[in-house]
Amino acid sequence: MANQKLAMVIDAPTCLDCKGCLAACKVANNVPDGKWRNWIKGADPERRASSPVVFQPGNCMQCDKPTCVEACPTGATYKNQADGTVVINRTLCIGCGQCLAACPYGARFKNTDLGVADKCDFCAERRKFGLEPACVSTCPTKSRKFGDLNDANSEVAKLLKANRAVRVANEQTRTDPNIYYLGEPGPTNWTVQARMPEAFDFWRRLADPVVKAVVGLSGLGVLAMLGKQLAMPKDAPPADGGAHEEAGHE
Amino acid sequence: MNKRMILRHTKGGIFIHWFNAACWFILLFTGLGLIQNPQLQPLGQWYPNALRAVFGGGGLLIIHLAVAVTWLLVWLVFIIANWSSHVVPFLAQVFTLKPGRDMEWMIKKNLQMTLGYKAMAFFMKPLGLGAKIPDQEYYNAGQKVAAQVMLLGALVLAVTGAIMLRGKYFMTAPLADIAWVQWAITIHYIAAGVTFGILLVHIFMAAIAKEERPAFWSMFSGEVPEEYARHHHKLWYDEVAIKTSDQ
Ligand code: HEM
Repeated sequence: MANQKLAMVIDAPTCLDCKGCLAACKVANNVPDGKWRNWIKGADPERRASSPVVFQPGNCMQCDKPTCVEACPTGATYKNQADGTVVINRTLCIGCGQCLAACPYGARFKNTDLGVADKCDFCAERRKFGLEPACVSTCPTKSRKFGDLNDANSEVAKLLKANRAVRVANEQTRTDPNIYYLGEPGPTNWTVQARMPEAFDFWRRLADPVVKAVVGLSGLGVLAMLGKQLAMPKDAPPADGGAHEEAGHE
Repeated sequence: MNKRMILRHTKGGIFIHWFNAACWFILLFTGLGLIQNPQLQPLGQWYPNALRAVFGGGGLLIIHLAVAVTWLLVWLVFIIANWSSHVVPFLAQVFTLKPGRDMEWMIKKNLQMTLGYKAMAFFMKPLGLGAKIPDQEYYNAGQKVAAQVMLLGALVLAVTGAIMLRGKYFMTAPLADIAWVQWAITIHYIAAGVTFGILLVHIFMAAIAKEERPAFWSMFSGEVPEEYARHHHKLWYDEVAIKTSDQ
């Protein structure tokens, strides 16, 4: 099977802000109380005055250059090459939360029931059974559309071909998201920037070279001692006032 | 008289040393394999990839955590059970350095181990120092410093490890403490790296250096030849000799 590039195309003007997608997602994915894998951003106040009011539904953008993956120390979070989604291997996640800050969209949260990071995976469980993501299935106005951009016959591919679509992204953090919006989805400049945790930055900038230097120097010392042992197998204290010989010790 | 043996390590001490060493090896190999981020992995991605092919990613984490918890529990029991017989004397020994004598020992021993006695004597002459390496106690200055680093490293690793474990399995407050967990990871790595640097020297001295061979065997049998004790740990030897001649 050829690699997929799963994506969403969201027809923003048809979103009613009914929050059906939020509820369906929560049920389908067992999302803990107070946490959400998806959202609907309200229109900005300026535009609210003028009609029509437009909403901006969203969820993890399954970015092609995911900053969350960059921040994960264990490789628990990775870009699934088979379908293009950004996924979490829960058995490897140590719950450090570095990916949370690294996602400009705030698409991740800590699942405190499981002790691991959690996020939208385009409903991987449902897709196994040939179903669409819960938010897509449930959307009463079919504002959310889902499919494979690598398949030219898919609905999403056709929509993108026929329409002008925009993506919502932060200027500084170009993550190459995979959610496209049709219509005027409101502000497309996402204001939050991806942030690498201080401890992570300290590790890659300082701790990494320092540890390498310590181990390297120590290794060199050991090699020097080994070389000397091989080169001078008979090395012994000089007879006069020898290093270990004590006078009067017979 | 040369073939007489002196007790150096008790059975308990030998057990905890090898138990500890085995745990450290497993923890080091699995722990390094848990780092799979090209910006952080010091050996390159082949290492975590290879380990994951064998144990599975989750398996690696489970082994690491299981061995770490076992290590900590066995140590706690050992420390409590042997507090006054082993632990206090060991700490007292390991943390008493005599600056003048031990500095001189460090410089001379390092030169002698890398360049030989002659070169060491040559470099010491202008300093007005003889070629004699200062007599040492039960542990020599190098062993003491190594033990200090290993103890401190173990303590830091245990504490940061516990913080991470708590972050994953016990943290219910959403994110308030997450920076602690993140710093714990970074510090865990530094402690493991620095201790590993010292361990390279420790293992060379113990297992490969010819002159310390009797000490290596003593980590199995518990005993060293009197001759070795007299040459390498003179101050300890004198103490033991006085004690035995008193009896
Ligand atoms: C192949 C691995 C190792 C070998 C062959 C080895 C060997 C030895 C030997 C022979 C001694 C006794 C020295 C003496 O009696 O004077 C010793 C002491 C000691 N070992 Fe190890 N060891 C190994 C690994 C480790 C590890 C992994 C640790 C800790 C993380 C460790 C910590 C210590 C400590 C703290 C001492 C006390 C004295 C000192 O600091 O040298 N050893 N080791």
